[in-house]
Amino acid sequence: MDRTAYPPSISIGDGNVDCGNVTNSHNTVNVKNVIADENLEIMKWLSPLDPIGRHQDVRTDRLDGVGNWLLETNEFREWRSNEETADKAVLFCYGDPGVGKTYLR
Amino acid sequence: MIDDLCNGPRDEDIAIAMFYCDYRDQQEQTTTNIIGAILKQLVARSGVLEDVRGAFQKEKSEFGGRGLLLSDMVQMLKQVIAMSPRAFICIDALDECLPKHLLELLVSLKDILEGSPRTRIFFTGRPQIKGEIKRYFAARVVVPISPKTEDIKRYLERRLEMDIECDAMSDGLRADILRIFPQKIAGMYVTESAVFPPCLLY
Repeated sequence: MDRTAYPPSISIGDGNVDCGNVTNSHNTVNVKNVIADENLEIMKWLSPLDPIGRHQDVRTDRLDGVGNWLLETNEFREWRSNEETADKAVLFCYGDPGVGKTYLR
Repeated sequence: MIDDLCNGPRDEDIAIAMFYCDYRDQQEQTTTNIIGAILKQLVARSGVLEDVRGAFQKEKSEFGGRGLLLSDMVQMLKQVIAMSPRAFICIDALDECLPKHLLELLVSLKDILEGSPRTRIFFTGRPQIKGEIKRYFAARVVVPISPKTEDIKRYLERRLEMDIECDAMSDGLRADILRIFPQKIAGMYVTESAVFPPCLLY
């Protein structure tokens, strides 16, 4: 099979490393690619939006330590806690534009 | 915050999804697309992916790739959350959502929360949307955010370190910047912190 028929995907390396039989390895890679391609298609079908990409940008821009104070508050700790209490289910941090809400750590 | 949740205790199995609302993407950030974006972050880690695949293949073969309805998405999200030990959903800048999408989104999230008491939702937004949050989430924890002097100082120090025009800087000017700017900036927001005590717990 011609492995160039499928675009490279994140699973492409898996099949090759410990596999002595080259033909077999290519088959594995192709089957994996078909599933990986369909998974990508499903993800796009669920939503065209990419919040993870945006999160990466925010992480890169954020200065380490900024916004850490929130993690020390009782409000955050109670919200984070493991209790089955619906009265702490929502935490809303509000502030004017530019105060650093997006960059809370 | 999301990174802090991710870096939590290693034995804790948690599912995290996030979303950043953006006024520049308002047209594309519909409720369905937002719920879909949350769903796709959680679906990979649960057994529900196969159900989603089934729905996808059906829509593709029978209806030429038609998308799911919001109600289907919400159902799937409920199913995914029910299978996760703990789920966290973080949504930034709610106020940047179009109003009709915002209300639909809050209703959907309320619906999801009702069946799952250990799920946690984190929102950020401008003070104007406090009313909407209050309307849909009777029980909530509210924290006002204002820039902290320490944070501003840390940020300024880093910027000064990376200053490409370092010849123009002197020790005196640096000291003045680090002294005056944090005070001025924190002062811009002091009125609000005075009106709202730092810990408002309704």
